[in-house]
Amino acid sequence: MKKLILIVMVFFTLNSQALTQKIEVLGMVCAFCAQGIEKSFESANNVKAVFVNLEDYFVAIESKDEKGIEEKIIRAIITESGYDVKKIEVVSDSVSEIKKKYEPK
Amino acid sequence: MLEIIKLNKFYLILILLIISNQSILFAAPMSFKGSVTSMATASKDYFSLESSYVMTSKDAIGVRTYTSKGNGYNVKAGGIFYLRKLMRINAIKSQTNLWLFTGAGTINIKKNLKDKDYSYLSPILQFDYETKRLFGLVSQQILRVGHENFDTTKIEGGFSLYETSYNETQPWLILKAKYTNSIFSKVEYTPTLRLINKAIFMDSGITADGDPSFHMMYTF
Repeated sequence: MKKLILIVMVFFTLNSQALTQKIEVLGMVCAFCAQGIEKSFESANNVKAVFVNLEDYFVAIESKDEKGIEEKIIRAIITESGYDVKKIEVVSDSVSEIKKKYEPK
Repeated sequence: MLEIIKLNKFYLILILLIISNQSILFAAPMSFKGSVTSMATASKDYFSLESSYVMTSKDAIGVRTYTSKGNGYNVKAGGIFYLRKLMRINAIKSQTNLWLFTGAGTINIKKNLKDKDYSYLSPILQFDYETKRLFGLVSQQILRVGHENFDTTKIEGGFSLYETSYNETQPWLILKAKYTNSIFSKVEYTPTLRLINKAIFMDSGITADGDPSFHMMYTF
């Protein structure tokens, strides 16, 4: 029985999917100001990766599990960094894939 | 007449302090909660050092020391300050801020072989607006000690030639204008090159009289 539980736990751990959320941010116009958003998300629980995109005014965060980061936590981090949230959506790309798409070559 | 001036000063400070406590206003002029920002400014006749800690998204406290000279005056000051973000309007492509600094401390004024220490309480109201390519700032400081008036007005404006990504350094061209009562005999204009890269913010300029001027800010 114990072995079965262990196998089920390992199975679910291996199959847990990270979730990427894209946050459109109002007022994010300079890197000096936006670093607060990056640092706050990096130190938040359950966050695996963060990408700040100034050109298109958004931040992408990837969680360690499939649950993602609670919307109220996202809004609190953005607000405490001095900005406002325009929109939060779940996207299919990972943060590294978004980075590849948006970062200058 | 002196009583009227004193009364006006009192009401001005009172109004600024009342405004700073209005919860209807938006946000503040500082970095992010829990961060420490340190800055230094140096030019031929001016040097300052300050460091502040952001307590909330709207409030910061800090320490500041500076020296300034001109027109026979030599001023040295040191003290603490409280910074309040009175308003922030976050639009899609811009940010507008109204800040209130309230400084208090001691100031030493030397002029014509006279040397005297005072304590001071000095508010600064600052308004700024920026997009990814445009920047503008207006600030007014009130600093009166004894019979001296060291009120300072600053206006800055500029632009960046191109946008950069989050990890790149963005160059800006800024024109700064500054005037301090008693110490300045004319408005000081300083064309400045500004470089911003995440935690670092650096200004290098040359005044219209040919004197170099530097400003650096770093957030920990």
